[in-house]
Amino acid sequence: MPSIDFVTQVGLTHYLVLSALIFSVGVAGVLLRKNAIVLLMSVELMLNSVNLTFVAFSKYSGKLEGNIMVFFVMTIAAAEAAVGLALVVSIFKRFKEVNIRFFEHLKG
Amino acid sequence: MTADAVLFWILAAITLAAALTVVLVTNPVYSALSLVMTMVGISALFVTLNAYFIAGVQLIVYAGAVMVLFVMVLMLFDLKHELQAFTQGKVSGAIKIGVVGMLSGLIVGAILMSSGTSTVPAVAAEGDQTKALGKILFSQYLFGFEALGVLLLVVAVGAVALSRSKGGTHAKH
Amino acid sequence: MSHEILLSILILSPFVGFLINGFRYKKHSGNLAGGIASGAVFISFICAVILVADLVGMPAESRKIAVTFFDWIAVANLSVKAGFVVDQISGIMILIITGVGTLIHLFSISYMHHDKGVAKYFSYLNLFLFNMLLLVLGENLLIMFVGWEGVGLCSYLLIGFWFSDKEKAAAGMKAFITNRIGDAAFLLGMFVLFLTFGTLSFSELVSMAPSVPELGWAGPLTLATLFLFVGATGKSAQIPLYVWLPDAMAGPTPVSALIHAATMVTAGVYMIVRLNPLFLAAPNTLMIVASVGALTAVMAASIGLVQNDIKKVLAYSTVSQLGYMFLACGVGAFGAAMFHLMTHAFFKALMFLGSGSVIHSMHEEQDIRKMGGLRKYMPITHFTFVLGWLAIIGMPPFAGFFSKDEILWMAFHSPLGHTGLWVCGALGATLTAFYMTRLMALTFWGKSRVDHKIHPHESPALMTGPLIVLGVLSVIGGWYGIPHVIGQYVGHLPNLLEGWLEPVIRAVPNLAHADESTEWAFMGISVALAGISASVAYHLYVRSPETPKVMAKKMSVAHDILLNKYYVDEFYFGSIINPLVSVSKNIWYYIDVNFIDKTTYLITDLVKGAGLFAKSLQNGNIQQYAMYIAIGVVASLTFILMR
Repeated sequence: MPSIDFVTQVGLTHYLVLSALIFSVGVAGVLLRKNAIVLLMSVELMLNSVNLTFVAFSKYSGKLEGNIMVFFVMTIAAAEAAVGLALVVSIFKRFKEVNIRFFEHLKG
Repeated sequence: MTADAVLFWILAAITLAAALTVVLVTNPVYSALSLVMTMVGISALFVTLNAYFIAGVQLIVYAGAVMVLFVMVLMLFDLKHELQAFTQGKVSGAIKIGVVGMLSGLIVGAILMSSGTSTVPAVAAEGDQTKALGKILFSQYLFGFEALGVLLLVVAVGAVALSRSKGGTHAKH
Repeated sequence: MSHEILLSILILSPFVGFLINGFRYKKHSGNLAGGIASGAVFISFICAVILVADLVGMPAESRKIAVTFFDWIAVANLSVKAGFVVDQISGIMILIITGVGTLIHLFSISYMHHDKGVAKYFSYLNLFLFNMLLLVLGENLLIMFVGWEGVGLCSYLLIGFWFSDKEKAAAGMKAFITNRIGDAAFLLGMFVLFLTFGTLSFSELVSMAPSVPELGWAGPLTLATLFLFVGATGKSAQIPLYVWLPDAMAGPTPVSALIHAATMVTAGVYMIVRLNPLFLAAPNTLMIVASVGALTAVMAASIGLVQNDIKKVLAYSTVSQLGYMFLACGVGAFGAAMFHLMTHAFFKALMFLGSGSVIHSMHEEQDIRKMGGLRKYMPITHFTFVLGWLAIIGMPPFAGFFSKDEILWMAFHSPLGHTGLWVCGALGATLTAFYMTRLMALTFWGKSRVDHKIHPHESPALMTGPLIVLGVLSVIGGWYGIPHVIGQYVGHLPNLLEGWLEPVIRAVPNLAHADESTEWAFMGISVALAGISASVAYHLYVRSPETPKVMAKKMSVAHDILLNKYYVDEFYFGSIINPLVSVSKNIWYYIDVNFIDKTTYLITDLVKGAGLFAKSLQNGNIQQYAMYIAIGVVASLTFILMR
C-alpha cells in the first residue's frame, strides 16, 4: 500500500514509474495503431520517456552525463522522425494511404 | 505535502493523460496535438528536475521542429478521418495488449522492487548547470557532438532524396 | 622375380586390363580392346606358368607358395589376411583359367569384332578373370567368397550382355538370383565353420579337420559342409539350382565357353576339393554330394537328348559333366574330380568355341535342325569338334576317357561309393555319348538343311587357332593322369596327377586294393556302352534321319517331358516364385502402403506444418515483428526478474 510518504515525498522512483508508464503507452501505440504517422509519434513517446529517465537519474546521481545523453537522443530522434516521415511520404505517393500494412511489401 | 510534490503529480497526470490520448484518439491531428501536450509536460518535468537547458531544447526541438514536421506531413495528406485506427485481429490484439500490460507491470514492479518506496535524496546541483553542461559537451563529448552534426546533414539529404522519389517499393516508371 | 611380385602381377594384370577397357567402354575398336584384354591375360598366364614351374621345382612335401600382402580384417577374434596361396590345386586352376582364358580372349577378338560394346565386353571378361583368380588363389574362405561373388557379378553382366533383348536380360537375372540362394548358403557355411574352428584360413581349417568322421546330421562339420555344398550347387549348377545355366547361354558364346563351361561353374568343385579333409570328415555330406552329382549327371544328360539349340545341348552337357565332378567328390575321389575339371575345361571350352564358330558362320543361327553337313564347309571346326566329341564320350586315349573312367571306377570301388552311383554314372555316360553324337550328326554330318540364304564358311584363323590348341589339349590333356592299370603296360607311365595332388588331398579311408581285372572290366564296360550308344545315335541321325521323329511321336509323353526339362522351371515358378511374388505384393499393399508409407507421410506433414507455421510468423507485417520483439523483451525481463 502506498503510504502517505509515497505521495508527499517525490523522488527518483516516481519519475521512473511515470517514465515506464509513458513508455508502455508508446509501445501500445506502436503495436496497435495502423497509421504510420501515429506510429512514429508513438516512437517519439517512447524516446521521450527514456529521456525523462535519463534526466531523473542525472539529477539524483549528480552527474551531468545524463543530460548529454538526452541531448544526443533528441538529435537522433529528430533525425529518425525526418527519415520516417520521408518514408511515409513515399508510401503515400505510391498507395495514397499511410497504413502501416503497406510496409509489408518490403519483405519482397 | 510540498509544492514540488503537488507540481509533480499534476504534471504527471497531464503528461500521462496526453500520452494516452495520442494512442487512443482516432484522428491523427488530435494525436499530434496530444503529443505536443506530452512534450510540453515532459519539458515541465525536466524543469522540476533542474534541467533547464534540456527543458528548453525539448520545447524547441520537439514541440517546435519535430511536431511541426509531423503536422505538416499530416496536413499534406489531408487525413482527417480514419476508418480503422487500430489493427485488426482479435487474437493478435489481445496478445499485444497483454504484452504491453505485462511489460509495464514488469518494469514498474522492477523499479518498485529495487528501490521500494524509499526516496533517494537528490544531489544538490552545483552552480550553473547549463554552463557545466556546455563545458562537458564541447570538451569531453566533442566528437559525438560533431558526429551528430554530420548525421543530421546525412539525414537531411536522405530525407529529401526519399521524398523526391516517385514512391513505392516497386517503382519502375 | 620374387613370388610376391609375380603373384600380384598375376592377379592384378586382368584388373588393369579391366580398368583400361572399362574407361574406354565407348570405343568400338574391337582389335585394340581385345588386344589389351588378351595381353593382360597372357601376362597372367606367363606369371602362372613361372609360378607353377617354381612349384614343380620345390620338394614335394613343401610345395606351396604362400604370400600375405596385408591384414585385411582384424576384429576381436576374427583375423583375415589378404593372403594368397599357390599350391598343387590352385596351381592347376590358375593354369586352366589363364591358359584357356587367353585362348578364349583371342577367339573373342574375332567373334565380337562387329559388336558395338566390344570394349565393355572385354573389360567384363578381364574383371571376371581377376575375380576368378581371387577365388582360386585366396588363402581363406572370405577372399574366396569375394571372388565367388565377383564371378557371379561378371557372369550376370556377361549373360545379360545384350541386355536390350528382354529375354537375355531376364536370363542374366535368373542366373544372378539363383546364385544368390547358393551364396547365402555359402555364407551360412562360413559362419558355422568360423563358429566351430574360429578361423577361415584354409591351411588352418585343413589342419584342424578331425581325422575321425563325424556321424549324424546335425554336427557342425556336417552342417557347414552341407551349407557350402548348397553354395556349390548354386555356382556349379547342380540340382536343385541348376536351372540358370541353360538360360545363361543367352550370353556371347565365348562367355559360355569361359565362364559357363571351363572356369566359373567349376568353382564349387574347386571349393570342395580345397576343403577335402573337412568333407571327408562328414560322410553324410559326401553321400549327398555324390547322390546329387550322380542324379544331376543323368538328369541333365537326358534333357540334353532332345534339345535343339546347339548351345543348350552343350549347356546340359556341362551340367551333366559337373555332376560327374561332384560324384567324384562325393565318393572321395577328389583327385579324379580335379582331373575331370581340367579335361572338361579343355574339351568343353573347345566345343563351346566350336559351336561359336558354327554360329558365327551360320549368321547367329543356333538351331541344329537347320544345320547339317557343315563338315565340308568348316573342316577345321569339324575336326576339332570331333576331338572334343571323342573326349567327352570317353573314348581312349582322349582326355575325357581317363578322367571319367576314374570317376566311374571310384564310384564303384571307393568305400564311400555305391553300385547305384556307378549305374547312374554309366547311364549318364551312355546318354552323353548319344546326345553328343546326335549333336555331331545334326550339325556336321548328314544332309545339309541349311537355309539357302546362308553360306557357311570356315572361320578366320583367330578363331580356329584356339580351337586347334584346345583340340590338342583335349587329346593329350588326360595323359598325365593315366591310371596304373594302363600305365604299367605302356612303358610304366606313372600317374603324374595323383602324385602331384597327393600331399594336399587326404586319401579315402579304408580303400581296399582293387582287383586289376575288375578295373579293366569296368573300363571295358563304360567304353563299350559309350561306343554302342554313339553308333546307335549315328545310325539314327545320319543313316535314317526319319526314325527319330517317328520315335519321338511314339513316345510323345517322354519326349515332351524331356523337351520341357522335366517342367522344373514351371515347378519353381508355381511353388516358389509366384507365391513369393504374391506374398510380396500383399506385403506391399497392406504393410508398406498402410504403415511404412503413412509413417513417412506423417513425418513429412509434420515438417511441412512446422515450415508453414514458421512461414506464417514471417508475414511482413511490421507490427507483428514489433510484437515479437515485445514478447522477447517480456520474456527476458521475466527471466531476469524471476532468477
